[in-house]
Amino acid sequence: MNNLEYLFAANVFVWGGIFYYLFRIKKYQQSLQNDLDLIKEAIKKGLQK
Amino acid sequence: MNQYLNQVRAIIWKDFVTELKTRELFSSMFIFALLVIVIFIFSINLSIVKASEVGPGVLWVAFLFAGTIGLNRSFMLEKENGCLEGLLLAPVDRTALYFGKLISNFVFLLIMEAFILPIFMIFFNVDLLPHLLPLIYVIFLGTLGFCAIGTLLSSLSANLKTRDIMLPILLYPLIIPIIIGSVRMTGQILAGEPLSNMTNWISLILCFDVIYIAVSIMMIDFILEE
Amino acid sequence: MSDETKESGPLLIWFTAVAFLIGMAAIFIYAPTEQMEGAVQRIMYFHIPAAWLAFFSFFIVFISSILFLWKKEREWDIYALASAEIGVIFCSLVLITGPLWARPIWGAWWVWDARLTSTLILWLIYVSYLMLRYQTDVGSMRARFAAVLGIVGFLDIPFIHFSVLWWRTFHPPPKMISPEGLGAGMDPSMVTTLMLSLGAFTLLYFVLMGQRIKVEKMRDEVERLKKDYLYTN
Repeated sequence: MNNLEYLFAANVFVWGGIFYYLFRIKKYQQSLQNDLDLIKEAIKKGLQK
Repeated sequence: MNQYLNQVRAIIWKDFVTELKTRELFSSMFIFALLVIVIFIFSINLSIVKASEVGPGVLWVAFLFAGTIGLNRSFMLEKENGCLEGLLLAPVDRTALYFGKLISNFVFLLIMEAFILPIFMIFFNVDLLPHLLPLIYVIFLGTLGFCAIGTLLSSLSANLKTRDIMLPILLYPLIIPIIIGSVRMTGQILAGEPLSNMTNWISLILCFDVIYIAVSIMMIDFILEE
Repeated sequence: MSDETKESGPLLIWFTAVAFLIGMAAIFIYAPTEQMEGAVQRIMYFHIPAAWLAFFSFFIVFISSILFLWKKEREWDIYALASAEIGVIFCSLVLITGPLWARPIWGAWWVWDARLTSTLILWLIYVSYLMLRYQTDVGSMRARFAAVLGIVGFLDIPFIHFSVLWWRTFHPPPKMISPEGLGAGMDPSMVTTLMLSLGAFTLLYFVLMGQRIKVEKMRDEVERLKKDYLYTN
């Protein structure tokens, strides 16, 4: 039976979904880390004054 | 215990007095249910499908949509006028508040359904009179389950910014068992089957009613916590 | 954020990656091709683990919700959120791979079969749960409401199961090998592959949970620092 295309499509969705989610989480983490660094810097400056 | 019953009664009485004064809720629920039935009649071709087969579904969709309006109003009115804070400050048990609201929602909905049934009978040409008793029983059970979980979620969604949208979104997936059961049973009753043929559905919906009332009693404190 | 989580994170990720490599090899090389269904049957090795993970995630949401209402600790709220998100993702994957498997085998994308229907309803419940979370502002109210919904939603599952099952009993079952029948008549190598895939996916759940929890904790940290240092003076 020739139905490889369905198997292929399923794989695209599964892997696409999982990696998209991981990618989004990683991006969030990066931007939050950025925020954290900025805030910490600001606090340090504030304390020095 | 007596005091508790008095608290419940006070809340129901308050809702009824408000309703008798304004007649807002009942008229909007009734007209809405009527509109749902009329729109369904236009969207299905009654010359092809048998009225007694699609009828139960249409009837319950009308009950459901109109009931959602009632549920939405029940806590939103309190919230809008700041009455909820007053009720929460009053020395009233939170579960009494839940029971009061549950009973008033339930009774409003039952009254509305009593008015819709004859209209349904006329429009769909279904003779309900020989099956009236089992039908009332089924409507009673289904509506109770709908109100049990609906009142809980209405107390929750009243605190949200997008309350009128969120209530149906939260409520409808959860009451699918009630809908399936009620529509099935109503269909079977209209086909002339006795209630003893559907004990599995009846026990399922009874369980649903009991469990969700119990869960609501346990949960209402967490929702109305301020 | 202890050192322990930082240490165990990469190890778990590597472990999961290796598990997936072995699992994929098993799925595409080791497992035999089904005689009747052909290549498409290999979707099963994604479909069943995704379904299992979705259900497992929702169970964790339920447990975390109870523990949150009991202990009132933000920790449990974070677990419930992370698990619900992951559960919805895997539930979506079940709903996507299901029709892709059904189309060549049953000849229809969607059959209102009991199992498919209850998965769809479950998906709807937890999507509404996430909507509730996203639409409410941060605070104890959001956590409490979400916890109530997490409990109420999970308790609905048995009702959904039976109602959907009886809803369909009057209709002939679709011509297919039911998942129970499949397991019984399955080749031992297929069972092994399925187990490997289940294991790999379960590890993936913990990896995703760890990362998602980290995001939420970082967000809390940002909020805390802002409140403590930037807004006050």
